[in-house]
Amino acid sequence: MQEKNPTLSSNNSFLEAVKNNNPQVLKNLYVSNYPKIEIFVLRNSGSKDQAKDIYQDAFLAVWQNIKQDKFVPQTESSINGYIYTIAKNKWLDVLRSQGYKKTIVTSQLGHFEIKDEENNDIDDDILKDKRLEDVMLAFKNLGDACKSLLRMFYFEKKSMNLIAEELALDSASTRNKKYRCMQKLREIALKN
Amino acid sequence: MDLQNTSQEEFEYIEKYLNGGLEHSDLVKFEQQLENNSDFKSKVENVKTILTGIETQALKEQLNVFHKDIDVISIQPETETTKVRTLNWKRLLVAAALIIAVGSFWYTNGNSNERLYAQYFSPDPGLPTTMSTTDDYEFYDAMVNYKQGDYKTAISKWEILQKSKPNSDTLNYFIGVAHLANKNEKRAIPFLEDASKNSEFALINDAYYYLGLAYLKAENIDKAIASLQKSSAENSKALLSDLND
Repeated sequence: MQEKNPTLSSNNSFLEAVKNNNPQVLKNLYVSNYPKIEIFVLRNSGSKDQAKDIYQDAFLAVWQNIKQDKFVPQTESSINGYIYTIAKNKWLDVLRSQGYKKTIVTSQLGHFEIKDEENNDIDDDILKDKRLEDVMLAFKNLGDACKSLLRMFYFEKKSMNLIAEELALDSASTRNKKYRCMQKLREIALKN
Repeated sequence: MDLQNTSQEEFEYIEKYLNGGLEHSDLVKFEQQLENNSDFKSKVENVKTILTGIETQALKEQLNVFHKDIDVISIQPETETTKVRTLNWKRLLVAAALIIAVGSFWYTNGNSNERLYAQYFSPDPGLPTTMSTTDDYEFYDAMVNYKQGDYKTAISKWEILQKSKPNSDTLNYFIGVAHLANKNEKRAIPFLEDASKNSEFALINDAYYYLGLAYLKAENIDKAIASLQKSSAENSKALLSDLND
């Protein structure tokens, strides 16, 4: 009998693919989980733009948790449920903080059964570290050459040799360039 | 996050540690240093933060690229999607020349009503939606479709509701507005007319405004003006003054 939801072992290529930022895998995960969230947000006083922002925050948090092994999904579908839960909770936090009086009565929020324990287990504030935000902003504003180099190393996880080849440099020069770009990044981050 | 005191060699060594690339004996030494030397520990933390930041920001930017595919996959309202797969410059130039020609012809001889309509029309943003309203579930369900730009589905759902509630001003109003957003002013008009019959209707000014716009699109200027005059909305007055020019 075929298993509908194959269990994931730690050596499983799907998990590894996520941790290695495999573009196909990430894209499928992203695209397939968005519609449910969009509907949820639209049904709860939100707009399409807000749905997109909340979803992206949630997606990044889930991805971080997987990378740090804070969340080890047992099946592929449990990742979907996890993304949905985090995104949903983030949106509810937004609603509560802005005091939407017209559309949500606090008693109605009880329907969503948010228990404290539930929230403690799910860490969705990974990205609230100020220093991390500074680095992210600095990277965003880094010049094209450095940005693309660092991206190849740290996001695409390409090997030194491959990168050196692409830049038509030897590996020593590539390493030096990488270090100089890191210095530049640090400078920009400190200015914030 | 200061890399000031971290030389290239040290940086690359720390990186190696973070990537799990240290040999066992080196690993032990490294971990001992971490425990004993708090400066070293913060250096390592800094490098970790930087690498995490780079990776996270890169992914964040990638998510926006992914999102473009969602917009393509999701339901399209009745507008043509123009996706230029390859650039055929010759064709583009011809098309551009044609457009400029037609455009200037249209502009000088053309339909000022259409222009005014395009200037003034934007779809009603819709009502806020709540999840757990039980008695108006179908109404708000269609409102979600409306907000997503899927006017066709919203209209079909609302028209079913309207059969059992023919006197609901809100229903008539939104069906009318949805038809108008769906570029079907002829079908919008009767619904908007119904919605504006009741002077107590909360959205009466919007109803008259959209009715005016619908008549404008249908080239019935007299009726357009008559409806717009009954609306106290700012846009209504502005449009009226433009019409009278």
